[in-house]
Amino acid sequence: MGNIMDHSYLQNKKLLFVDDEPELLKMVTLILSDEGFGNIATAGSVKEGISAFQKEKPDLAILDVMLPDGDGFSLMQQIRKFSDVPVIFLTAKDEAADRLSGLGLGADDYIAKPFLPQELLFRICAVLRRCYKEDTPLIKLEGCTIDFSRAQVHKAGRILPLTAKEHTLLETLARSDGRIVTVDALCEALWGDNPFGYENSLNAHVRRIREKIETDPSKPVSLITVKGLGYKLNTGK
Amino acid sequence: MKSLGKYISKYLASFLGVVLILLLINGIAFGLTFYGIVTKDYGDVSPQNMSETVAASASMEGISDKASGQLRDHHIWAVYLDMEGNRVWETGAPDGIPERFTVRDVAVFAKGYLADYPVFIRNTDDGMLILGYPRDSYMKLTNNYFSLRSIKTLPFFVMGILAADFAVLFLVYYCSKRKILKNAEPIITSIAALGNGRPASLSMGGELAGIADSVNRASDILSRQNQARANWISGVSHDIRTPLSMIMGYAERIAQEKSAASHIRREAGIIRQQSVRIRELVQDLNLVSRLEYEMQPIHKSPVGLAGLLRSCTAEFLNTGLPDGYSINIEIAPAAETVFFPCDARLISRATGNLVQNSISHNPDGCDITLALDCTGECISLSVSDNGAGLSEEKLKELNDKPHYMESTDDRLDLRHGLGLILVRQIADAHNGVMRIENREQKGCKVILDFPTGPVS
Repeated sequence: MGNIMDHSYLQNKKLLFVDDEPELLKMVTLILSDEGFGNIATAGSVKEGISAFQKEKPDLAILDVMLPDGDGFSLMQQIRKFSDVPVIFLTAKDEAADRLSGLGLGADDYIAKPFLPQELLFRICAVLRRCYKEDTPLIKLEGCTIDFSRAQVHKAGRILPLTAKEHTLLETLARSDGRIVTVDALCEALWGDNPFGYENSLNAHVRRIREKIETDPSKPVSLITVKGLGYKLNTGK
Repeated sequence: MKSLGKYISKYLASFLGVVLILLLINGIAFGLTFYGIVTKDYGDVSPQNMSETVAASASMEGISDKASGQLRDHHIWAVYLDMEGNRVWETGAPDGIPERFTVRDVAVFAKGYLADYPVFIRNTDDGMLILGYPRDSYMKLTNNYFSLRSIKTLPFFVMGILAADFAVLFLVYYCSKRKILKNAEPIITSIAALGNGRPASLSMGGELAGIADSVNRASDILSRQNQARANWISGVSHDIRTPLSMIMGYAERIAQEKSAASHIRREAGIIRQQSVRIRELVQDLNLVSRLEYEMQPIHKSPVGLAGLLRSCTAEFLNTGLPDGYSINIEIAPAAETVFFPCDARLISRATGNLVQNSISHNPDGCDITLALDCTGECISLSVSDNGAGLSEEKLKELNDKPHYMESTDDRLDLRHGLGLILVRQIADAHNGVMRIENREQKGCKVILDFPTGPVS
């Protein structure tokens, strides 16, 4: 599992799990510590959750919706009074209405049980990455390194600057860590719109990025086209 | 509604038939009873016949004994007048019958009664015969004259009145039929809705309020039962999720455990894989039951289906397809710009289920193609594979037979997965149609056709 993505800088983030099932808390703690997350607090109710939150000051709260002394939605609202910490709901309630009320409260994700450990891990990392930018976010690719904080590509001793659009495009792809990002999602990220009419612009940006990051831009190995779907960025790890 | 109108017409037609038959029976009954009396009245002893017989045997001299006996037998008296009105003879005449009659007397009794006896007269060659019948044996109409015009127009009057009667009857029939239909219409619509498993709500006053009440109660009971069933399924599927999470989590952990023996890791992998199948079943079951009982809110908003299909495909590729499978996407240029009002989550779910179906039914691997086309007023989303395809019977069964969730047949061999029924329900919820067919080359294809307005 460890090779799915690099989350080393995320591993020292503190997580708080609130669930009324102690066995589940035990398992989640076990699985996440396998993945290097050593700082995990747990609570079994709304009351315990609040006090654990104030004591531990976690970087991410993962809340069940149905708790013995209330529900996760109200717990989140109470937390929100004093903290803007990211929140993920992890719950057995899988109805559209619950999902909407969870996300409507401003939760960062909503995961329905049952879940596979790698799904949970991926989504925890995705939220953490989105909310806590790496201090020196350097992405190593085959033959080059991208420095997002400076919007630069370091390739063979040269420094190539990235335009704002190129930066956004690469960041969107990098955030998905080797997963395919559809043209729709890319256009949404770049122009906040549906892809129709932007295909040529997107192609042009991709071409220019390849000239900067690829050793041989006509045979790309990092920024790969997935025909009919979109693109993915192969990181060099 | 039409059938009720027909039913009323038919019912009234038979009612009319019964009336006609009754009239016929009346006629026959009349013939068998009253007619007997009437014919007797017009028989041998009738004034007509009797006066003829008696007149034939009567003259100025008297009457034959036979005729006289006959008169006596029937308590009839007779008087014979000559041309001047003098009584020539009499037989059995009561007191008070004058000896002589003036022209005025004759004129008076000729039409009616003589001393309260109904009398009948007959002219002979030399005089006049008067027959007096017993009191209370006959009634005579003393003023039985009508103008010729009135007699001639009588048939028209009768026909006219009859025609007017029929017109009024028809009008009454027509109006009451319309009224019944109008009042019954909401009831019938509601019952039809109940028959289709939809809830009904009626508010009516008057005599039909009781029926409306019953329909509402039936609808209520039905909804409550459906609600209870859906809640039950939802509850079970909810309660199973946390334990299943733990099975999946630990199975995965064992499968990844480097120090474990390889067969243990393999078996843990199988547990994990099967748990994922249970998860899919649980999710499908819940959604199927919610859609079935119309408890699933459908959040429709214009969705670019091309983008949605791309993201579904990417999701499958990102999660990792098993070895031997590939997934392609074909979007017609015309479909690229189509925005279709739908619930994106449900459509993604349907697409995901179809891809998953292709994978489960072709364990040896296959190439799966997602396609989107837009022709005229219809968007076609299809998922096809080049796998084993379906036998003719299976195809027919999938297309025609109700799913076991909707059928009372508990034969297990008719059962198939929840995946397809969910896809069909999602298509239904978007006014679409699901078709399953075998591809010409190899494999099968499931098509969802969604009607749209004219493509802009």
